[in-house]
Amino acid sequence: MKKNWHTPFALALVLLFGLSLFYIGTDGFKAYTAETARVNSLIENQPQFPEVTFEDSKGRVYPVSEFDGKYVFITFMYTYCSTVCPILEMNMGQVYSQVPEEYIGEDIVFLSISFDPERDDPVTLAEYTGHFNADGDTWRMARINDQEELDSLLEEFGVVVIPYENGDFAHNSAFYLVDREGTLIDVMDYTEIGEAAERVNTILENDKGE
Amino acid sequence: MNQFTAGLFLLIFLALPPVANLLESIMVVHMHMQMPLLVIAGFLMAKLVQERFPVFFENWNSNGVPGILLFIIIMVYWMIPRTMDEALTVQSVAIFKYISLPFLAGIPLRDSWKKLGDKSKNALIISFTVMFFAMGLLYIMSPEQLCNNYLIIEQITLGWGFITMAACAVVYLIYSAVVDPSDYV
Repeated sequence: MKKNWHTPFALALVLLFGLSLFYIGTDGFKAYTAETARVNSLIENQPQFPEVTFEDSKGRVYPVSEFDGKYVFITFMYTYCSTVCPILEMNMGQVYSQVPEEYIGEDIVFLSISFDPERDDPVTLAEYTGHFNADGDTWRMARINDQEELDSLLEEFGVVVIPYENGDFAHNSAFYLVDREGTLIDVMDYTEIGEAAERVNTILENDKGE
Repeated sequence: MNQFTAGLFLLIFLALPPVANLLESIMVVHMHMQMPLLVIAGFLMAKLVQERFPVFFENWNSNGVPGILLFIIIMVYWMIPRTMDEALTVQSVAIFKYISLPFLAGIPLRDSWKKLGDKSKNALIISFTVMFFAMGLLYIMSPEQLCNNYLIIEQITLGWGFITMAACAVVYLIYSAVVDPSDYV
């Protein structure tokens, strides 16, 4: 058989193509799931918290500006959830307890936002705060009644909520940290409690030092 | 109807929005039915392409290795959880799926397969078997939702789909190693 250079060349070309394909497809070998890619891009783009109106477990109604000048530690959940949300909220409670008391309520507020406004009325939310010993002031649980506002927030923060049978939702979970100006500055793994608490405390300490 | 037309029809049929939406709504069907069918569409269309451009394939894929490598790359690419998600949410990725699977996997597979020796063929089947077992375990055991557009239960189903495919491949490998068809003629 005659020697040809085409085939080795084609092989090199295919290899190069494969490498570029995987490089581009995974953002430089960094994101193999859409969730990682989502979190990376959120941290990079730092979206602003959109204008929404909350109704919390104490029946108070207020806009986002209620939290102006404070860091807000956020999770998204719904109270009927029996799988991941209780763990998410429990872990959130542990982060809450690891933040020094002097900051709580003054510099940082914890906020659990329900994306099931139909069922999560103030009474239900109040009951839910009880399960996690949330005081309803420094750790609030609230719903957003306006579906359009809720959707814009979920969209902006990349929360994917899929409704399925029995009124349950499948959704991705994370800890979100919004700064004093309402800018999303970090998205953290909700299973890494220590790491998240450390991150929050460092930010708060640096902020105090300035 | 010749093979090319059949393949082209299959590709067009699969790309029809209602068909695509239906197949993509179930994770395991998306990966183990729609994607292989796209490869098959390319496989069927390959014949005409080979006849039209025999010199091209002879020159550039003389031993079948570049072609089969391209096939492997495309297959592995579509096994990444993220690409499954983005095929649903990012249009350019969706279009790439309909182009890459038939034309960059189906066609090279057909051209390369005949050129490969028995050992290479078996090595390929064994690697895919191992990969399917690994992917199956990943999708079954992962505590996290790997694809944002699919539920965890679908992810587990997909995992078992992978394991089933791998088990079938093992049966085939044992069969081809142990049974000599000429004994039964």
